[in-house]
Amino acid sequence: MISNIVLTTGLLLILIGIWGLLTHRNILRIIIGFSLMGTGTHIVTVAIGYVKNGTAPIIDRVLHMSEAPSRAVDPISSALVVTAIVIGMAVTAVMLAYTIRLYDSKKTLSIDAFTESKW
Amino acid sequence: MMEVIGSTLVLLGALFHFSAGLGMLRMPDVYTRMQAGTKASTLGNTLILAGLAFYHPGWSLKLLIIVYFVLMTNPISSHALARAAYGIRIPLAGDTGIDALRDDQQNLRSKP
Amino acid sequence: MTRRFFVVVAIVLFGLVFASLAIGYTEQHSLRALAESYVRLVPQELGAPNVITGILLTYRAFDTLGEVAVLFMVGAGVVLVLSADRWPRAAAYGPEKPRQSSEIMQSGAQILAPLIAIFAAYIIMNGHLSAGGGFQGGAVIASCVLLLLLAYPQYQLNIEFLSITESVAGALFVLAGIAGLIVADGFLDNRILPLGQFGAFFSAGAIPVLSILLGVKVGCELSVILDGFRPELVEQKDQV
Repeated sequence: MISNIVLTTGLLLILIGIWGLLTHRNILRIIIGFSLMGTGTHIVTVAIGYVKNGTAPIIDRVLHMSEAPSRAVDPISSALVVTAIVIGMAVTAVMLAYTIRLYDSKKTLSIDAFTESKW
Repeated sequence: MMEVIGSTLVLLGALFHFSAGLGMLRMPDVYTRMQAGTKASTLGNTLILAGLAFYHPGWSLKLLIIVYFVLMTNPISSHALARAAYGIRIPLAGDTGIDALRDDQQNLRSKP
Repeated sequence: MTRRFFVVVAIVLFGLVFASLAIGYTEQHSLRALAESYVRLVPQELGAPNVITGILLTYRAFDTLGEVAVLFMVGAGVVLVLSADRWPRAAAYGPEKPRQSSEIMQSGAQILAPLIAIFAAYIIMNGHLSAGGGFQGGAVIASCVLLLLLAYPQYQLNIEFLSITESVAGALFVLAGIAGLIVADGFLDNRILPLGQFGAFFSAGAIPVLSILLGVKVGCELSVILDGFRPELVEQKDQV
């Protein structure tokens, strides 16, 4: 039940991110759309690893070693998301660096001004 | 009994967060939007954590430290954003009465 | 108008695919085979209570090494695109005088920077015992550096020191992997150091050492990226 809610929220975030990416003309808002899409994907990846009545895969007072394989949540999806978050932030940094240089060349932040690559 | 109090506090905190979002949509310019976003969401955070403390009384000290940290960092970060917005000369809303920062900077520049 | 129409069509099609995903999803009752074997093997063979850190730093450590390489390329790329002496920056308001930051920022930074640094060290060192690890701690170190850069705008980061530290940390990471090849079972195996007692502070073999190296490398990298975004400052001849 709860992972259904989280999964739907993540998919909604991806949809909103794609809409923002395609509609806006300001470069900074397009970058925000990319970031929203990335966050939605992380939420979806964590949500599909949920096991019914499971808990975090960390062995401590709450979860003993013997009952861990039956009660722990999927650790692989969490491990993938940990690295994905840092990579997403680094890619956003590259996009912002390109934005600064694009603004330097044409003094505007609208993506309609950069038409050299269009057919 | 404790759970009812905790749930009421969490609901109040969620209402404050909602009003923060509503304020950010309806306010006229950058500075008022930042004010709505910071103040209401900091209070919402504090109320939600206080409600959580009623659910798990053993976590009270850790939640108090988190509330202290949120109270320290949220206002400082929005202050830095607002000063940066003023520095790149984003225009204030039309019916602004007093601009205290401009008077302050003029006083500073006119002093010998 | 046609652009609007195609955008709406694309969103509707994506929405249909996502709706079919959300409706056809049922929670799983037990772990799949690979995940269950990881949850069983990490406390037994590696001696680490945190299963996720054990996966990231031993069983899938090669992916972590590849991601460290990706972060290094991103850092080099950002510094290349933004470097002021190759392509001079046409700043919007002229070259900047270093702007004095306000008293609130400086007081806040004086209180918060030590707290954030201690918190980052805690996250890195606690990676194998509870939630945490190298990547998360490195990101928190970079946020501490960002706070200092905002509070003291004249502060010049020592970029050579950060680059040398970052490269040495990466080289030591690969050397630890090669030591795993020679002494233990495979590349980046964590049994090159003794496993120790389960749950103690110095346990789980080489995982704390690898966490520290990873945290230092990610922290230095993100600090270099943050420093590349600052405007170039003109020399201050007459100070107000």
